[in-house]
Amino acid sequence: MAAAAIELTDVQFRWRPQGPLVLDVPQLTVARGERLFLRGPSGSGKSTLLALLSGVSVPQHGSVEVLGQPLHALGGAQRDAFRADHIGYIFQMFNLIPYLSVLDNVLLPCRFSRARAQRVAARSEPQAEAMRLLDHLGLGGDLPQRAVTELSVGQQQRVAAARALLGGPELIIADEPTSALDADHRAAFIELLLSECASLGSTLVFVSHDRVLEPLFHRALCLSEINRAGMA
Amino acid sequence: MAILGLTLRSLLSRRYTALLTLFAIALSTALLLGVERLRVEARASFAHTISGTDLLVGARSGQVQLLLYSVFRIGNPTNTLRWDSYRDIARHPAVAWSVPLVLGDAHRGYRVLGTTTDYFRHYRYGRGRVLEFAAGRPFDDLFDAVLGADVARQLGYALDQSIVISHGAGSVSFVQHDTLPFRVVGILRKTGTPVDRAVHVSLAGIEAIHVGWEGGAAPRQAPTADAVRAMDLTPQTLSAVLLGLESRLAVFRLQREINDYAREPLSAVIPGVALQELWDLMGVAERALLAISACVVGVGLLGMLSAILSGLNERRREMAILRAVGARPLQVFILLVSEALLLAGAGVVLGVLLLYAALWLGRPLIEAQWGLYLAIGPLALREWALLAIIVGAGALVGAIPAYRAYRYSLADGLTVRV
Repeated sequence: MAAAAIELTDVQFRWRPQGPLVLDVPQLTVARGERLFLRGPSGSGKSTLLALLSGVSVPQHGSVEVLGQPLHALGGAQRDAFRADHIGYIFQMFNLIPYLSVLDNVLLPCRFSRARAQRVAARSEPQAEAMRLLDHLGLGGDLPQRAVTELSVGQQQRVAAARALLGGPELIIADEPTSALDADHRAAFIELLLSECASLGSTLVFVSHDRVLEPLFHRALCLSEINRAGMA
Repeated sequence: MAILGLTLRSLLSRRYTALLTLFAIALSTALLLGVERLRVEARASFAHTISGTDLLVGARSGQVQLLLYSVFRIGNPTNTLRWDSYRDIARHPAVAWSVPLVLGDAHRGYRVLGTTTDYFRHYRYGRGRVLEFAAGRPFDDLFDAVLGADVARQLGYALDQSIVISHGAGSVSFVQHDTLPFRVVGILRKTGTPVDRAVHVSLAGIEAIHVGWEGGAAPRQAPTADAVRAMDLTPQTLSAVLLGLESRLAVFRLQREINDYAREPLSAVIPGVALQELWDLMGVAERALLAISACVVGVGLLGMLSAILSGLNERRREMAILRAVGARPLQVFILLVSEALLLAGAGVVLGVLLLYAALWLGRPLIEAQWGLYLAIGPLALREWALLAIIVGAGALVGAIPAYRAYRYSLADGLTVRV
């Protein structure tokens, strides 16, 4: 059986060596293909957890394994490469590089990850694959060629989703991707994201305050329940 | 490669600021190179004020002083050299040719130089260029005069015009020798040397001006031209002598012989050496000019620094995005350094193009105005070095915001805390 998508064991993290403990998670496992809804009040350590999952930071104590790979065993550059190869990331907002076209923004991961580029190429031409994803997310027509500044916030978030999904990375991390959207757009966005994740078989970690969305996921977790540092 | 494409797009998206920065660097580069070119050319041109002459001989004095009065016609000789000594030296077997010079008089502020027609044959300037006549011919008669280009142009003189030459070197003279007018028989082409500012007459002509002045006071009765013609007008003393040798190998030997001349204290100097010494005296101004243009380049690069730095905070978001798709902090660093490098590199290239355009446009003007011939050749090694320094300084300046961006992207990770 394949390793879990995410496996946290006895993780402790502080931003500064003498600083307060921000994260203290004895155990967290996310299975492959699982869709996890993660919520938590501000300051509960969500950003920190995402930094650990994406390999930007490493815990001072404990281990973070993503897709069976213990991240603390990798150097900084290797973790960056790992992220490029295996993780799609969606921000709350401002996901796009302003000087690149919509299409180039979607193709951005291919610039930094050969593995990802090859995986895209295995399906079809990278451009065609990007166009297919955009089309699927309702961004067809001449939109891919346009400047990102002409897009609405909802469109921008969907472009970000297309970028995260390009090349079918095993893990998608979405950091409150719907908080800038109104209710109608939010529903449409989640639906698209979930169906794409399902068809690609990607694991999804979805961070949000919006409990209305909880039922759409396999599992919902409150970070403050698993983070002992937050309880103090 | 991934990064370079991004750098280009990023710069293109800020094309107005980028272009301004680029132009600032290009202009300052062109200025620096232009000053360097002018400096080198002026130096070369100065060093070639007189060429082909192996030795300058005058009464005992410092070499710069001898050079100043005999070549630049600035100041007066402290002492003269006897005609006999000149005959002696001219007969020396090592001497191929000799040109005697007598200075002392002025025509409306321009120095009058008494010499022989050998002057027009042997005088060289630049890289062996001979004196050419824009009009007319060398002097022949006692009262013939040949004008330098500036004299003719400034005073509006044409061929066959009568001019009056006064005794004494001042621009205003109390006594004008208007009974003995000289006739303009030749006008020299512009040389960019002090030759342009001289009125050339024969040795006898100089003597003729002084007839009746032997006592030091103005003659009561000005002599008539015919009476003057009847006199023996061989000069008793000379200001300086230009020597050309049979073999340049003999220069030092002859120089020593002349310096040790028993019958009269004389000095012989090598023009190139004396010119070098004189130029070094003026080197401060030259270096100051270069320093100022280097400062202009510095200002151009500082402009770039402020343009990149001021945009940096807004770009933290962009860096977080790049980090999210897998960019390393080092790549973020490279993104910003390559931006500075690209601006500096393109600025330098544009600067060189500007320089050549300016040279091409300005060359006729500069040659006409100052007689300075600017060669439009490929970049000299020193100029390449200057360009490399500019680009290197650009990269170094770019490293400042790049390092900040590097720190930001390490600290921010994927979350921007602004």
